[in-house]
Amino acid sequence: MEQELRQLESEAAEKLSSLKTLQDLEDVRIRYLGRKGLFTGLLRQLGSVSPEERPRLGKVANQIKEGLEKKFHARKAELAAAAETGPGSDDLSLPGRVIPAGRIHPVSQIMDEVCSIFVDLGFAVAEGPDVELDYYNFEALNIPQHHPARDMHDTFYISDSILLRTHTSPMQIRAMEMAKPPLRIIAPGKVYRCDSDITHTPMFHQVEGFLVDTKVSFADLKGVLTVFCQKMFDQKDIGLRFRPSFFPFTEPSAEVDIGCVICRGEGCRVCKQTGWLEILGAGMIDPEVLKMVDYDPEEFSGFAFGLGIERIAMLKYGIDDIRLFYENDLRFLNQF
Amino acid sequence: MKFTLNWLREYTDIDLPVTVVADRLTMLGLEVDSVTDLYPGLTPIRVAKILDVTPHPDADRLSLCDVAVGDERFRVVCGAHNARAGLLTPIALPGVTLASGMEVKRAKIRGQESFGMLCSERDLGISEDHSGIMELPETARAGESLLEALSLQDTLVEVDLTPNRPDCTSVIGIAREVAGFTGQKLRQPVSGELPRLSNKGVPFAVEVRDPDDCPRYAARLLRNVTIGPSPWWLRKRLLAVGLRPINNVVDITNLVMLEYGQPLHAFDFQQLAGGRIVVRRARAGETIVTLDGEERRLHESMLLICDAEKPVAVAGVMGGENSEVTDTTTDILLESACFDPLSIRRTARQLNLGTEASYRFERGVDPEVSPRAMERAVQLLVEITGAEAVPDGYDCVAGIRPPAAIRLRVSRTNDLLGLQLDAAEISRCLESIELAVTPLDDDTLEVTPPSFRIDLEREVDLIEEVARLQGYNEIPTSMPVVPMSFPEQQPGLKLRKKVAAMLVSQGFFEVINYSFVDENYFDVLRLQDDDPARTAVRLLNPLSEDQKIMRTLMLPGLLQNINRNTSRQSNDIRLFEIGKVFEPQEADSLPRETTRLAGVLSGRRHPGSPLLHFASTKVDIHDCAGTVEAILEGIRIKHAVSLDFRGQDIVAPSFIVPGSYVACRAGEQVLGFFGKIDAAVLKGFGIKQEVFCFDLDLDLAGGLEAAPKSFAPLPKYPSVNWDIALIIPETVAAGDLVGAIESAGEPLVESAEIFDLYRGDAIDAGHKSVAISLTYRSPEQTLDDSVVNTVHQRLIKMLEERFLGRLRDAG
Repeated sequence: MEQELRQLESEAAEKLSSLKTLQDLEDVRIRYLGRKGLFTGLLRQLGSVSPEERPRLGKVANQIKEGLEKKFHARKAELAAAAETGPGSDDLSLPGRVIPAGRIHPVSQIMDEVCSIFVDLGFAVAEGPDVELDYYNFEALNIPQHHPARDMHDTFYISDSILLRTHTSPMQIRAMEMAKPPLRIIAPGKVYRCDSDITHTPMFHQVEGFLVDTKVSFADLKGVLTVFCQKMFDQKDIGLRFRPSFFPFTEPSAEVDIGCVICRGEGCRVCKQTGWLEILGAGMIDPEVLKMVDYDPEEFSGFAFGLGIERIAMLKYGIDDIRLFYENDLRFLNQF
Repeated sequence: MKFTLNWLREYTDIDLPVTVVADRLTMLGLEVDSVTDLYPGLTPIRVAKILDVTPHPDADRLSLCDVAVGDERFRVVCGAHNARAGLLTPIALPGVTLASGMEVKRAKIRGQESFGMLCSERDLGISEDHSGIMELPETARAGESLLEALSLQDTLVEVDLTPNRPDCTSVIGIAREVAGFTGQKLRQPVSGELPRLSNKGVPFAVEVRDPDDCPRYAARLLRNVTIGPSPWWLRKRLLAVGLRPINNVVDITNLVMLEYGQPLHAFDFQQLAGGRIVVRRARAGETIVTLDGEERRLHESMLLICDAEKPVAVAGVMGGENSEVTDTTTDILLESACFDPLSIRRTARQLNLGTEASYRFERGVDPEVSPRAMERAVQLLVEITGAEAVPDGYDCVAGIRPPAAIRLRVSRTNDLLGLQLDAAEISRCLESIELAVTPLDDDTLEVTPPSFRIDLEREVDLIEEVARLQGYNEIPTSMPVVPMSFPEQQPGLKLRKKVAAMLVSQGFFEVINYSFVDENYFDVLRLQDDDPARTAVRLLNPLSEDQKIMRTLMLPGLLQNINRNTSRQSNDIRLFEIGKVFEPQEADSLPRETTRLAGVLSGRRHPGSPLLHFASTKVDIHDCAGTVEAILEGIRIKHAVSLDFRGQDIVAPSFIVPGSYVACRAGEQVLGFFGKIDAAVLKGFGIKQEVFCFDLDLDLAGGLEAAPKSFAPLPKYPSVNWDIALIIPETVAAGDLVGAIESAGEPLVESAEIFDLYRGDAIDAGHKSVAISLTYRSPEQTLDDSVVNTVHQRLIKMLEERFLGRLRDAG
């Protein structure tokens, strides 16, 4: 009896593994496990077994039955999955069943990277309005009406006193008005200038950063920006140079160049054969600006810097036309 | 600011290569924008001597010129009237490409062989002059290169000047900086004592009404000028930097302006009524026709140069036509003045008229340079135009303020720069650029800047000079020492990043669109006339028609993006944008800026997934709903938001298909919506496929209280699933069944989920079958069937009664 049970078990197991369709499976189930199946038939004969043997055999039979049922269900799941995919399911050259993720816009990606470097250095992030008062965008930054520096900003106006911010620097004033030093803040955001060509879009992104405390020096500015450039371009020995420049709200003012990331300083079209790429404007916050927010320039000093996100993205990814960022073509977005 | 290397060399000796000079200037804050060969295309042009000219046998206007180019002889057909025997002129031989891009070839012109081409200045790209072939000086030798013959071999340098360095709007100013780092001397064309001007004894008079507007006004009279073209050396200078030569008088004033940075103006003296110059503000209603032929209405704040009767120039900006130097001018009054920068800037803005003169005046001209520049111009006028300079002249100096001395602390300098310089080093530094330094005590220096450095006014200005001259790269690098503090981050930022990450994982691409949009979109979206979204912040000076207003809705940008992508054969699209919309407030206050999250879905349900595994099923409203639900769930505010699609106050916006609109509300507040966009609206955007959209107020969402995260013990006992299939009228929303089950207050019901919707043969018309899977569980015991059955039957009864439903037969 036990031998018969075992034989039935191995026979059924073999059929289960060799059969190919759900219909075959159902046939096998009926044949072995169905109400009139072989297994049931065999169990009926349990009655003719000696009463001493009966409990043990009953237990064995049940184990076998359960085992087969388990195998049957597993096989059913396998076949069902195979049926869904159709033929060739074992062809591993076929594509995976992927549901692809989308992408974050490259400008946001770079913005995040920039911000997180400064956040790691202990800077707080603050944001301000896109539509800004002339006062914050110009006056308080030591750019009075009729200052030639206004020529450096092609400004969109809403009214005489309201405009679209031309830089993220107004956040220097807004933040300093609200708190006392020490301050370490970066201000990312959209800025606007009426200019449009292969290197200019009327809207673009900047990150402004500043640090104010007692005894902050130009050497500190150099230190922080050096760390930033090393991390941003993932280059420990990145070439870096600070050049005198002019911004009405910083003095001394500097422009910061990095060694060209494209030609590694050999000279190419992108760096105009100079081996250097301008990526940042910076300087020590002008005493006039500190006075505007009632900080005593004798007590406090600070540095500020600003950088264009698109420019960094273009350099990092080799993008040659800034307008691509705002066409939002999937073939472009998908590359980052 | 443009200049050439040879020009620069007139004022200081330079033995460094030009690349080194450019680099040093850049590192001094005078950023060199470009260094290029001047006239690179002229290298192959040579000098030809015309030996003989004979008329062309078949063309009246052409002649045949036999020319010598070195030892070679060529015949060239020429149309210029000034071709004559003995003339030295440039020739482009066959194979040479001219400035216009034309390649000169051996050709037959009206049957006559021509070997090359005799050139005008325009042919060579030197100037616009095309009146005849260029006439070269006697000193040129036939056969030599034109660049050599005219000493045109030179390097053009362009410096991108910052507004704080007006002293460098002149070649001498640049030379001074160069001399500073080479240690060579600066040579000025006019040096030493200048003739004193006594303001009397001349046949003209000058009156400056307000010396604050015009700190200095110097003038001299020159008689018997002969107006004509300038000599080549002078024209060459102007042409090299892109200035058009006009006549000798105007060219001389321009040359001296470029040399010294001092704009000059020459009046035709005969045209000055009363022989007087009056510097005054404009009167109401006055007008002037400026040299460019435009009639200008003058504002009372504008400074004018007038004669006894009328305005003859807008001070510091442009001269008037009425006193212009012409071919018949014989006597000129030469002006060399200094005006208040602010006044000039305001005037130039108001007239929308920027000139070389206003560019310099509005940045600030050194009042000390005015008489020197005038003396230079007088000398050139005498030499070149044959003029006689009337001795003496006017020099009104009432408004000049001597430069003030500035105190500079050594300690402050070192603190701010992070350096350790001593007083002697700082003094040496500043003295190298002509600043006078006197030590007051151990820590304090008294510094007097020269008159041409009008930008140096404060201690910090001097500290910058020290940094600049030391070299920024010589300043060490350190890290700031500040007390540790926790950097508070903007809360909205975190939410935006979280939402963006969720959407990206669902296959959405982030887009960024301009904040300004086309006003016409309001009509395309079919907004009612009184729709608040039509009230927008307007730009006074938009770049283009389609960027006139600040957006009040996110949708137009996204629909434009769909259009762009579908027209480039990308039809399966999921996009989102997180950005601000702008709502105007009362005048003079800033608009309200709200951050919104908007997205669109169109095309395949699984864009980018292998077609082998996923059918090409298109997205529908439930995909859109799912996205919104996932976001609400993901930022844990789903409990606070209701998704409403019926009720009297639920009215779809004009651009959403009615009946496919779902409002998302948080209590009384509208969080946003989702729905299907109307086909006619889509057509307006050039979109031919279905589009679903969502739009949520992210600021509001961020303000809602997130569901707290608190632990509930895991169930100990198994659950059981029982199904219900109920046939209900079509008018009943399937979701209401689930709602009714959940709110029935049955403690054993853990969850209920619709798993099938069926309409078909077996179901009566106007009805549908809804299959719901119920999960029962007790926290205390394993449920047995009879307990479940009681509850299950109770629920079935409730559903049947409430929704006029009927249990669907198992068979």
